[in-house]
Amino acid sequence: MHIIGNVSIYLAFFLSIYAFVAFVLGIKKQDQRLIDSGKGATMGIFILASISMTLMFYLLGTSQLQFQYVYQYSSTDLPIIYKLAALWAGNAGSLLLWTFFLAMYSAMVAFSKKMKRNPMTPYIVSILMLNVIFFYLILSFVTQPFTLMDGVPPEGRGLNPMLQDPGMIFHPVTLYLGYVGLAVPFAFAIASLIVKNMDAFWIQMTRRWTIIAWAFLTLGNVIGGYWAYMELGWGGYWAWDPVENASFMPWLTVTAYLHSVMIQERKNMLKIWNLSLIILSYSLTLFGTFLVRSGVLTSVHAFGETNLGAYFLVFMAFMVLLSMYVLMSRYHLIKQDTGQFESFVSKESSFLVNNLIILGATFAVFWGTVFPLVSEAVTGNKVTVGVPFFNTVMSPILLALLFIMAICPLIAWQRSSLKNIRDNFLIPAIISLVIAGIVVAMGIRDAYPVISFSIISFMVLTHLVEFIRGTKARRKVTKEAYPVALVRLMIRSRRRYGGYIVHLGIALIAFGIVGSNFDIERMETLRIGESMDIDRYTLTYEALDQRSDGVNDVVYANILVEKDGKNLGYIQPERMFYLNWEEPSTEVAVRSTLREDLYVVLSAWEEDQRATFQVKINPLVKWIWVGSYVLIIGAIFAIWGGRYGQVSPRYAGPERKVH
Amino acid sequence: MIGRMLMIVALMFIVAVPTMAQGDYDRNSPEFRENTSQFMCLCGCGQDHFECNMEGCGLNEQFKTEILEMMNDDGYDKSEIKEHYVAMYGEVILTAPEKSGFSLTAWVTPFILLGGAGGGIIYLIRKWVRKSKQLMKPELPNGLEDETESDILHSLIDEERKKHF
Repeated sequence: MHIIGNVSIYLAFFLSIYAFVAFVLGIKKQDQRLIDSGKGATMGIFILASISMTLMFYLLGTSQLQFQYVYQYSSTDLPIIYKLAALWAGNAGSLLLWTFFLAMYSAMVAFSKKMKRNPMTPYIVSILMLNVIFFYLILSFVTQPFTLMDGVPPEGRGLNPMLQDPGMIFHPVTLYLGYVGLAVPFAFAIASLIVKNMDAFWIQMTRRWTIIAWAFLTLGNVIGGYWAYMELGWGGYWAWDPVENASFMPWLTVTAYLHSVMIQERKNMLKIWNLSLIILSYSLTLFGTFLVRSGVLTSVHAFGETNLGAYFLVFMAFMVLLSMYVLMSRYHLIKQDTGQFESFVSKESSFLVNNLIILGATFAVFWGTVFPLVSEAVTGNKVTVGVPFFNTVMSPILLALLFIMAICPLIAWQRSSLKNIRDNFLIPAIISLVIAGIVVAMGIRDAYPVISFSIISFMVLTHLVEFIRGTKARRKVTKEAYPVALVRLMIRSRRRYGGYIVHLGIALIAFGIVGSNFDIERMETLRIGESMDIDRYTLTYEALDQRSDGVNDVVYANILVEKDGKNLGYIQPERMFYLNWEEPSTEVAVRSTLREDLYVVLSAWEEDQRATFQVKINPLVKWIWVGSYVLIIGAIFAIWGGRYGQVSPRYAGPERKVH
Repeated sequence: MIGRMLMIVALMFIVAVPTMAQGDYDRNSPEFRENTSQFMCLCGCGQDHFECNMEGCGLNEQFKTEILEMMNDDGYDKSEIKEHYVAMYGEVILTAPEKSGFSLTAWVTPFILLGGAGGGIIYLIRKWVRKSKQLMKPELPNGLEDETESDILHSLIDEERKKHF
């Protein structure tokens, strides 16, 4: 089987080189047969990547321990789902998954109905092929997934217990789908520059790709946060770890891009800016991979120190230089913006400010991430840049962003009149100030939470105003009932109202984040029958017991929870001990409501059954997950196929003989 | 005499404050959280010493015990505890860079850049607005309701068009 595996990798590597050469020669000679052959090779690569993936799943699922990768990341006692999920636990497997997605996307673009007979297709697929070549180069010669061991070990080393969680099944997959998805708009952007067709065609064609990639990036980050919250036992969901930052940065730049493209589509401006944003987003995905694989920065996510980082750094440098060269060589054709700005107070201006703040946030995250390296290089002094830094620097920036998100939907294109501003903002502003007063009256005196809660309220209210105004305006014309008018209004402008739903999701997430900063924590050692109080909860420790979970042992405590004297039932924080892993893992007991989470960790216990518990009250955390659902619903709503506003863009660039 | 009495009271007060404070702190004290969370755990967990619960972390428990001793037995305050550990491990032990020397650049650079870019954007918009005014396009009423209504109108036309074709 290792022969099939290795052949599928090597063959795909040579086929990717062939496809790239065929496309380049086909374009140069304007020979359609070569282009078709390149497309065939692209499909061939996808089939080979599927074979490699299926084979790896089979090897992991059947515990073929003679394979080094299976031995290193799996064991016979693992549940089947985690045996399969071990595919992305290590370097070789995760890069195979990445390559599979890349090959799949390349085939989808090459055989897309919308791109049929489009002269840009060979250019786009050849750029994607450059990526495929790089990944197959790594899989063929640097980190091979199908290497055999000298013998067959009796048991594998097992999967890190922290990765044995449903979150870990979806977190890497969604994140990779987002990362790899960004290669598509990047390829379209570069192709549009090469064929000198820099109108909004590439933007319109990649709108869905970009939103889907962005939604997957969002999902990846949120699932990662949920996993950290439930599995790591420290009560947090985001630690500003270098690798978390690495996935947050492209998310920010794509968010900026999704807004600024609207100016290009509407006013034919900011072409260079949009191209630069997509190049930056794509480069940041490679930068993130470099961080994870190189071990250059300390991170809990790192795959361990390997020389893989150097390859990614070289590839990233190559792709950035190539993009810069193409962009500069076409600069004279795109530098003249045709549109105009009529006023400082307009939607265009607010989008620009939005871009400025998002890019500022991206830089702040980047700067904080690399500052330990900068400091060591400049002064020889090692420093740590952790949570307090990011919270201090990012809070004002993200608050400003929320504020812009609040006012942007209600500002008109071109020019907003004073009356327009007064009519739209007066009532939301007054209600937000009242909410700020209520927050102060509730005993919160710190400036940040008061400002944050009032800005979040303002944002929610301005969006509701926008929904109400739209519904009223439609009803005035159509005389439909209010619910019908609202639904039809949203369906007819999916992109716009989908975007607003996304904004509302972000408001809910922000509400949860601000609230979770008011956490309370206690650590107590209790004897059986003793109780502890925290906030309005009373926890009574009733028993410490042990049970088996497959080949693993679980030690758990039985705790009776009461709130204001009312019995809420039992919770069971656990510690799991693994047969094939030295370190036990924490299984947190969480009682979650929209108001707060009761979060209990079994920290330690003695022979006389005294046990130490770490108990936290985390207010409003559930809103973060609720907001994430809303956000994803908004993204799906925006891209969902429909009869309205989904017309395929028309290619108006130079014609070629090949397509 | 009065001066001597005042001095004794003042001395009692000075001595009394730390004495009162000493021995009162435990792991649930907010001061303990404040003191421990300023230090990064170097076991590789990526968390500060208050949060670290990594199984097998050889540093965290000792750190917490030491800090509690410093607070209760030696009467150290936050800055004294910080100085103690920075002298021992260097700035790397802190969860965030100092706000002095080269480390200050970590804090200010993002805001300097944002300020500069903000100025650039204002300049750019002003330039575009001026250029637009020079072209003297006739002013169109572009209020929000017009935009919404225009969207609705387009969708209705689209609906009708699709019915007929």
